[in-house]
Amino acid sequence: MASHPLALDPRTKLFMLLLANLLLFFHVHTHTEIMLVALTLLPMLPAGRWRMALRLGVTYAVLVAVSYLVPADSPNPWLHLLALLAVGLRMMMPCFITGAYAFSTTRTSEFVCAMRRMHVPETIVIPCMVVIRFFPTIVQDYRQIRAAMALRGVAEGRFALVRHPMQSLEYVLVPLMMNAANVAQDLSVAALTKGLGRPGTHTSLTMIRMRPLDWLTMIVCATPLVLDIIGVL
Amino acid sequence: MTDDTNDIMNDAVETTAIETSRVTFRYGSGGDGAARDEPTRHTALHDVSLRIRPGECVVLCGRSGCGKTSYTRLVNGLIPTFFTGELTGTHHTADLASGSPVDAFTPIVGSVFQNPKTQYFNADTTSELAFPCENMGMPADEIRRRMAETVRRFGIEPLLNRSVFRLSGGQKQRLAVAAATMLRPPIMVLDEPTGNLDARSIDELHDMIARLKESGTTVLIAEHRLAWCRDLADRFVVFEHGRVIGNYPARDFLVLSPETIMSMGLRALDIRPYRAVVEAKRQTSDSLHRRDDETASAPALRTRMLRIGYGRRPHGFRPFGTRPKPGDFLRDVPDLTLRAGRITALMGGNGTGKSTLVRTLCGLLRPIGGSILWNGRPVKAHALTRKAFLVMQDVNYQLFTDSVREELMLGLDENDPAVGKRCERLLRDLDLETLADRHPMSLSGGEKQRTAIASALMCGKELIVLDEPTSGLDRFHMRQVGLLLQRLKRAGRIVVVVTHDEELAADWCDDVIDLDPVETSSSI
Repeated sequence: MASHPLALDPRTKLFMLLLANLLLFFHVHTHTEIMLVALTLLPMLPAGRWRMALRLGVTYAVLVAVSYLVPADSPNPWLHLLALLAVGLRMMMPCFITGAYAFSTTRTSEFVCAMRRMHVPETIVIPCMVVIRFFPTIVQDYRQIRAAMALRGVAEGRFALVRHPMQSLEYVLVPLMMNAANVAQDLSVAALTKGLGRPGTHTSLTMIRMRPLDWLTMIVCATPLVLDIIGVL
Repeated sequence: MTDDTNDIMNDAVETTAIETSRVTFRYGSGGDGAARDEPTRHTALHDVSLRIRPGECVVLCGRSGCGKTSYTRLVNGLIPTFFTGELTGTHHTADLASGSPVDAFTPIVGSVFQNPKTQYFNADTTSELAFPCENMGMPADEIRRRMAETVRRFGIEPLLNRSVFRLSGGQKQRLAVAAATMLRPPIMVLDEPTGNLDARSIDELHDMIARLKESGTTVLIAEHRLAWCRDLADRFVVFEHGRVIGNYPARDFLVLSPETIMSMGLRALDIRPYRAVVEAKRQTSDSLHRRDDETASAPALRTRMLRIGYGRRPHGFRPFGTRPKPGDFLRDVPDLTLRAGRITALMGGNGTGKSTLVRTLCGLLRPIGGSILWNGRPVKAHALTRKAFLVMQDVNYQLFTDSVREELMLGLDENDPAVGKRCERLLRDLDLETLADRHPMSLSGGEKQRTAIASALMCGKELIVLDEPTSGLDRFHMRQVGLLLQRLKRAGRIVVVVTHDEELAADWCDDVIDLDPVETSSSI
């Protein structure tokens, strides 16, 4: 997991995530959005996430195409519904893309280090760490529980979750929660004995540093948005 | 208490690493303080006095719930600060008195816990090693220096820079020991560290602890599997119902008869006789499989040229052929015959695909190649899920309702008197009658196991697979699992037990299948 020369600082990634959200907030033109999406897909390539970039890029392109292709005066109401859905999804794509990039290319320790550098209080850092640590555990638990349900013949098959949502939810949630309580206790014990709660400065082995590339990325990615807001684009 | 303890007590000149004097502890009733695996009804520690010298290696032993885990929690400061309750008496770990904040113990005591899955906090191994040092505020250069030293000391280079989620249980446990030593604590506490490890991983863990001992670290191991640590221990302290009932120097303890050891609820001191029995059973079952008469009348599950595996995306599109990708697992399984009314132990080291095999036999995974025959007829995966049941290692995943009786009735017609009668009979057969109205989560591990099995029998499952049913169990509870297996056998089920436990396989299983290390695999 050696740092790639083109890898970005976690703070830059968080900044890109913020930009994607501002995009929604300011309701920019579609071409500004397309520009920003193209820019945010780029850093995935040196991070080795070309497959992810391709998938997200193609999805976005299809959504753009659908939202443009449906004629505004089409008499078919279903087409309008489709276009509406496509536009809605398309507008959220920048957030998905930057989010997917940030979370798939950053280690927990880097995030924690970035948060501490930004002087985020420990009362926020520690819960964030725990939540990040919990996700993969929940995914594993969920698979186990689905297997157990299949063996018991409850809510079997692909569509069971759709047909009996409440019942299935109960069967999944009860064991998941019971287990989560155990895991939470074990994790707390492990973290406490290793001094997570110690007062005083915590250092970090992970080196994070804002480099010229980070500043450049931030400026380049912010440009379309700024230009759009001041009305140039 | 034996005379030997008194000798140590009188020896005031000697410095002490750990000193406990007349400690009694009872877990508080508040949810988080109550240890889930121990009965919280009675006192966890009762008038415990112990003095441990620096550099000593002490094995705390006794049956489950005897207080050995609670004692380790007292030593690493979790009791009474994190696990709260009533504490009387005095306890000192080095200079720290009980009741000091848990953080204060961090540089003095390194802790390793039972469950490899939940004792690391970072997603990658390097961060996990650095974690305690970072929390102490050490400069990065110092952390790197210590990490290099630790890696050299324990020979764990291959573990660096990896995702913790992809390590085996044994690797995780070695990482946990290494991480716990990063601050060079003078005392190490290990709570049943071998709970779920195969023989090789246990050997590796043993060697790490031997190295710690050489360097003068005081080592405390709470354990009821004694065979692996017999040569490490200087002293054995036996707990029962929260009291110290024996305090033996190693030379006195190691000569105790196997019967005495068993009566203390402990696992065998010497695993070799069991290993020999397992080997003999393996050889006879091997020839049995070769003979394999197709005409046998008992219902049976057979595999033919079975190839099992899973990928990161099992049914995903593979434009470049079926070449497995990193992270995929693939292996061929020698043909097996599993008969009704026999208990088959499925053994073999970590990573040989035992779990994948039983998941395939239960229809949870599709075979990659070959076939599975039920009474001579090929059977599809979804049909197998109806015939088979897997008692998972973590049985908590398998209990869905809020009482034992409902658990048995789940998915069945509650108004049908025949079903109700069958339910009552099963409850009686599996000693669950008195627990019928209890919430499954309030039961002990063994009771949960029985409830899951009862639910399987209720839906008429014919193949019952148990995944590591005795991991972390003492002699007494292992015997209970053994009796349960016998009961399933008498009921004419096909019983398969995935296990590393040689004592279980030797004493309670009929056939032993050893899955050899993988040749065709490309698992990474």
